[in-house]
Amino acid sequence: MIRASAVTELAFAARRQKDWEELGTLARKIASLGLRRIAPSEIARVPVLYRDVCADLARAQAARYSAPLVEYLQGLTATGHAVLYGAHAARTSRRDAGTRSLRAALFAFPRAVRRHKWAAFIALALFVLPFIVGLIGALRDPDFAFRIVPESTLRPLTEAYRAGFDEGRAVGQDAMMAGFYVNNNVGIALRCFALGITGGIGSAFYLVENGLAIGATLGYVASHGAGDNIVTFIVGHGSLELGAIILAGGAGLAMGWSIIAPGERTRLASLQSVARDVVTIVFGAAAMLLMAAAIEGFWSGSSVPAVVKRGVGITMFALVLAYVLFVGRGKEARKWT
Amino acid sequence: MRAMPAPLDTDVAIETPEHIVFHHRVAGPARRLLAYALDLLLCYGALFVLLLVIVLASAGAAGVTGAFDSALGAGIGLWLVMLFATQWVYFALLEAWRGATPGKRALGLRVVTLEGRPIGFRAAALRNILRAADSLPITVAGGAMASLFGGLASVTAGASMMLTTRFQRLGDLVAGTMVIVDRDVVRGGPLGLWPPAGPEEQATLPDVVTLDADERHAIELFLRRRPRLGRAREHELAAMIAPKLAARFGVRHADPSRLLALLYDRAANAGRSEAPPSSRGAESWR
Repeated sequence: MIRASAVTELAFAARRQKDWEELGTLARKIASLGLRRIAPSEIARVPVLYRDVCADLARAQAARYSAPLVEYLQGLTATGHAVLYGAHAARTSRRDAGTRSLRAALFAFPRAVRRHKWAAFIALALFVLPFIVGLIGALRDPDFAFRIVPESTLRPLTEAYRAGFDEGRAVGQDAMMAGFYVNNNVGIALRCFALGITGGIGSAFYLVENGLAIGATLGYVASHGAGDNIVTFIVGHGSLELGAIILAGGAGLAMGWSIIAPGERTRLASLQSVARDVVTIVFGAAAMLLMAAAIEGFWSGSSVPAVVKRGVGITMFALVLAYVLFVGRGKEARKWT
Repeated sequence: MRAMPAPLDTDVAIETPEHIVFHHRVAGPARRLLAYALDLLLCYGALFVLLLVIVLASAGAAGVTGAFDSALGAGIGLWLVMLFATQWVYFALLEAWRGATPGKRALGLRVVTLEGRPIGFRAAALRNILRAADSLPITVAGGAMASLFGGLASVTAGASMMLTTRFQRLGDLVAGTMVIVDRDVVRGGPLGLWPPAGPEEQATLPDVVTLDADERHAIELFLRRRPRLGRAREHELAAMIAPKLAARFGVRHADPSRLLALLYDRAANAGRSEAPPSSRGAESWR
């Protein structure tokens, strides 16, 4: 049986109290103000104090000091640990850091997509095939569309597209629709990704559902004589918006596949190993959707001539495709990611 | 990396690079649900107020320029963006920044990695995007209400928490995070003996009482909880261990609870010159 050491608990606590309080105060200060606003001399104190507290904890445990003291020192160690080991790498200058991480992100996104290209291809197929089914079905028999999208949605929509865009939209209306697209579309993409954890079934469901509904809507509107107008409307933001949904769905499929076929890892480890890539893809898709929402709100419904809209739309499509396929292939890019 | 096997408890052991092991208490589902409800209340309360402000402001604008529709439209657009932010950005941003949302903070919760470190933005975003998967099957049922409040009836999250040792929901599993209860770094005062041992008690106590760490810990926990226990329960608990100790040290006392206090006091303070008189404690008890 171990007897307490010669210095009793109270004397020990009285002797060390000052340092403990200093570390506690410092940690709270860092937590509330952030490292940046703490004087270097104070930051330099943290590792010293933390190591001492670690030693104190070890001693208190070995000497069988009372539980509250050990608890207190444990809490202090945990706080110090969080401050010391949670610190992000110091950056030389803030402005530089911003452009660096932006560039890294611009390269990382298409690279992550290409690392999981099979998932992206399957997502593309899961979207495009139902889209074609919906489109052809609704073109041949407009009533087919009602099985997928409610009639009460389709009829007013068709009227709106028939009217065309000569009058444009009111200023406030633009902003409202942009807000609606942010909330609705980014939400759909994120949900489509998240449900990929069901082994990909959830993502596949969302992709098929969206492909079918969009195809059927397009077919229905076109069969009522507003086909030119709806294509003019969609073409501007479509490549960004639908591309993003497909990429987010692909990320979901990649996540699902990592559970189904974990290889040599445990399923959980396999899941966590793709987490980094899929988050990158989802962030990229969300950024694409924010851009798409702005275009859809302020440009697609505007009174700009149809020729211009289509020209811009085709250019956008080429740009998006080129970005996903080619950006970040060089040696330079590899340094960033 | 993995927590070492420990007695059945909600503790997680974290080993620091200094080879010191400390413990985090993992937060249970009830506490987390409460924190989540609090966050929802906060967010939707703020959204409601914003909506009122927007409607009033555009009514005001209509009086000046007669452009009620466009002002309201722009306001609603902004409001929808805020609605999006409360669902998808609020949690991720605040957890990445401070380790906790206001709701979590109010209940003393914090999100950390499995190694006990603060989480970064990626992990925070991932665990919160996967909230949609955690609120299955309600997510699929659709509807505005379901997507707003689905998290409150998250069957999947509940099942996942029950099946994992650290109460992790799916988002936690993928992001490699857990939610812990932040302990207050406040030091409890030393235990004193009140009233001080009387002469006949002094006479029966042995000079040296040696308790091992577990015994000491158990008695101390009991003594600290004693003021909150009923008299009968206090007796019942004390009687579980007091007879054994009484036999070991050859002492007798009518009150098992008092006996534990006496033995503890003697073990903790006797024979040490630096120790203050045992009766001068910060926490005094019967």
